[in-house]
Amino acid sequence: MEVYPHLLAQGLAIGVLTGILYVLVALGLTLIYGILHIVNFAHGEIYMLGAMGAFYCLVVFKLPFAATLAVILVASLLLGLVVERLVFRSLRGQWLQLVVASVGISLIIQSLGWIAFGIQEKNVPSFFTGVVSVLGVRLPKERLLAAAVGVVLVALLYVLVYRTKTGLAMRAIEEDEETARMLGVDADRVAALACAVGFVLAALAGAFVAPIYSLNPGMGLEAILMSFLIIIVGGLGSITGTVLAGLLVGVLQSVGAVLLGAEIAYGLVFVVMIVVLIVRPAGLLGRA
Amino acid sequence: MKRGLLALVVAALVILPPFGQPYVLHVAIVVLVNVVYAQALYVIMRMGYLSFGHAGYIALGGYASALLATKLAVSPWVGFLAGGALAAVFAWALGAVTLKLRGIYFSLSVFAFAEVVNAVFRAFEFFGGPAGIAAVPRPALFGARLNTHLQFYYVVLVVALVSLVFLYRLQWTRFGFTLLALRTRETEALAESLGINAARHKTFAFVVSCFFCGLMGAVHVHYLRFVSPFVFTFFLSTDLMVYVMVGGLGSYWGPILGTVLLTGLGEQLFAAGYYKSLVYAVVLLIVILALPGGLISLSRLIGRGGLRGRAAPVDAIAAGER
Amino acid sequence: MRRSMLAFSVLLTLTVGLAAAPTGAHAQKPFKIGAIVPVSGPAAAFGLGVQRGLELAAEDVGVFTVAGEKYKVDVVTYDTVYAPDKTVAAINRAVYNDGVKYGVIIGAGVHPPILPIIRETGFLDFAFAAAGRQITNPENPTAFRIMASSDQLYQTYTVEIAQKLGAKRIAFLGPNDELGKNDAKAIKTEVDKMKAKGVSFVAEEYYERGARDFGPALLRLIAQKPDIIDTDGSPTGSIALIAKQARELGYNGHFVNSTAVLEAKAISDIAGKAGDNIIALRIWANPPTKLYTELAERHQKKWGEAAPGTLWETYGAARWLIDTIVKVSTFDTKKVADALGNSSYASHPFGPASWGGEKAYGIKRQIVIPIPAAILKNGKWEPFDVRSGKFE
Repeated sequence: MEVYPHLLAQGLAIGVLTGILYVLVALGLTLIYGILHIVNFAHGEIYMLGAMGAFYCLVVFKLPFAATLAVILVASLLLGLVVERLVFRSLRGQWLQLVVASVGISLIIQSLGWIAFGIQEKNVPSFFTGVVSVLGVRLPKERLLAAAVGVVLVALLYVLVYRTKTGLAMRAIEEDEETARMLGVDADRVAALACAVGFVLAALAGAFVAPIYSLNPGMGLEAILMSFLIIIVGGLGSITGTVLAGLLVGVLQSVGAVLLGAEIAYGLVFVVMIVVLIVRPAGLLGRA
Repeated sequence: MKRGLLALVVAALVILPPFGQPYVLHVAIVVLVNVVYAQALYVIMRMGYLSFGHAGYIALGGYASALLATKLAVSPWVGFLAGGALAAVFAWALGAVTLKLRGIYFSLSVFAFAEVVNAVFRAFEFFGGPAGIAAVPRPALFGARLNTHLQFYYVVLVVALVSLVFLYRLQWTRFGFTLLALRTRETEALAESLGINAARHKTFAFVVSCFFCGLMGAVHVHYLRFVSPFVFTFFLSTDLMVYVMVGGLGSYWGPILGTVLLTGLGEQLFAAGYYKSLVYAVVLLIVILALPGGLISLSRLIGRGGLRGRAAPVDAIAAGER
Repeated sequence: MRRSMLAFSVLLTLTVGLAAAPTGAHAQKPFKIGAIVPVSGPAAAFGLGVQRGLELAAEDVGVFTVAGEKYKVDVVTYDTVYAPDKTVAAINRAVYNDGVKYGVIIGAGVHPPILPIIRETGFLDFAFAAAGRQITNPENPTAFRIMASSDQLYQTYTVEIAQKLGAKRIAFLGPNDELGKNDAKAIKTEVDKMKAKGVSFVAEEYYERGARDFGPALLRLIAQKPDIIDTDGSPTGSIALIAKQARELGYNGHFVNSTAVLEAKAISDIAGKAGDNIIALRIWANPPTKLYTELAERHQKKWGEAAPGTLWETYGAARWLIDTIVKVSTFDTKKVADALGNSSYASHPFGPASWGGEKAYGIKRQIVIPIPAAILKNGKWEPFDVRSGKFE
């Protein structure tokens, strides 16, 4: 093909942008697993709620952007606290029950979503439309925005976990809850906070990714599947791992499609996942 | 009391069907098939492994038999066993790798396996591609194909009873109790220090579990007379998990109870799919939060020993009861 | 202990409540028509169109008389979520438990396991399935396809669209399932007929159903510089995103889509200007009959949203069916199927309707109705062409 190098460059660019989106979506799941060792299956549905929230606030109620953001932030925070208190706390330590419970929660939210939001595809209008052309490579503006948000949130998360006292407390209860409690850490409150932040990340991801695609109540399923894929490859609980894996998967899908066709590229991603599981089951940067 | 009740149930399953209309037979077939799937899943769940990909092993068994029957005109009776055998072989090969993973890693690896299985079946025309394989024949007895619901019901019943008896014996033997001891990494280490070869036990259990999945998967496919990558999906795996959890991890009868109740409940909700999901999920959460032993633990309220029988020790460890 | 008791009572109430749920009473005898369709999940729009089409038909028919008895149409819905096992459960329940003998069933992918039951019981199946020698053939005399088949669509329009637009390079982006694979073959056959004129088929790619990111699939496709990208039966959300993402990557050509359920407003909301130049087959820019408009308005009023394409096709088939039943004065599905297959109907919402497909499928069970094509410009459908769906 005559346009090969250009096509590859375009593929790479789109792959990186898409990869950052994947990272943004998977971030909340990583946090909750990293600190609480809970695989939050409801993660995808919170993402859906965030996107739907953005739709209803911006399009139906015509709230200004700042207010929309505030609503989504507060709502997801509260939801995270409630779910942690009612469900996760009483099941602490029983990982099987926790996983199944989170599956149950995700089913409930999804079913209610279909009933409440209906079947029509919805759309949140883009904040920026149009394409930026860099050296002949086309970069859609709204994806650049979402990628920027992703980068900011990853940075904020790093700061929270590694540079604040709360983050220190979170890492403490992750490593050794007993000792942390003995040293005066209010483990219950920290756990609740970690869960809430995870929910907020998921909802924000939904809100910012929403304008790029269309919305329907089933969108949570794709989000959770992709998030799991990223997290298996990158390592459960590792933020850096999530970032690397997200970029890897995004680029692999895109460049793979240019070289081998979309069908094969899609399969390739699964193959990578299986290879990682066999060779390094904890993920590229995870701890077993 | 327990033996009497059981005998009554089995007798009913054998004698009543000729009086039932085809829809009831359809439901009975579906319930029996799912009971075996759930019971097979339970074998490894009580070992501490949650599988999100059992549908993959079921699919292997189903496709194997369908291919043999449609491409090589192999008798479905042989196909059933071939399906079970194929699933068992894959389980043995993959078990070596995946059983070393604990907790969620295992679950996700089996999930990945199931997705790959369906993706492979979808990608190649040899397996029928996305359209799957149609015109899968029913098995024949004395020259006549068992095409009616009633005839095939008895096939399903026999296979189900044989499977359930085998799985029962697997659990209530020394082997079965040893599996309980392998529930967590710590207890497994303890067991190993006592001379138990944990890996061998776990692999055997996994192989047996998948054998019955493949076997019943083949039977299932010959009932539908069809198989495609959209028949044995991730949703089936999660449904099975819900049946076992709701029924209760504490006893052999738990998964059976859970499957029968939820499938029965599901049949009433045929008008819209999300109501069924909603009800299932609500029931699941109620049970997890308030009835940790599952519905089977309610039998303790009924009488001493209840449905589990007097001699059966409490599988409380598996249930995670407090 | 307290907790367990509470949980037990809640569960008990739930079960009893569901089991005791009352069903409606009937003044006349009910004539049940089944809607064995997805009404939840991603394919719900198709199913809802069917369900509502049947309900509107039931309203309009009212009470009718067969062999001296009065009947009223009773629409019974069985949600299949477009899954094969649920469809099997649905047909079993419908036929054996609920005594339903007539119904509309959506999905080529879910038909194989139920065809034996349809054959054995003579269930009259109005199938919404694009591909399909497997459904409409002489072994299934009671199975009718009530929408244009893929072969029919592509035979009617592929050559014409290419000629009208002066296109030379045709590409295909379809869902990775049997619909997509079959239709790619159908298009290639049609494009081959134009080889002498310099028209060629340049690329095919597939995406996973439900995918939102078509970038990977589009990259390679667009590099082949197609003039037309056929997107097969992609639903509203997908075609909107395909168009948007393709334009972002620099594509300026046309799209062709063949699904009947396509919302202009939703496409333009999601894709904006990028949605222009989508040519949709089976979409009417100008209503073909007064009945069409009336049904659209009634749907809007009753359910507060635009009608999915399957609404009109279902309504037409249902009215035609009941007309036939009244004419032959029996509910015997084989007799009705015979009479129906040999009849024509002037009051279909799309125009005069008849059955064809004798040459292609061996039996006249393929509906022949006018097939429109519309093109999206500035968020509104404009007429592109209307052709008779003549199909041998």
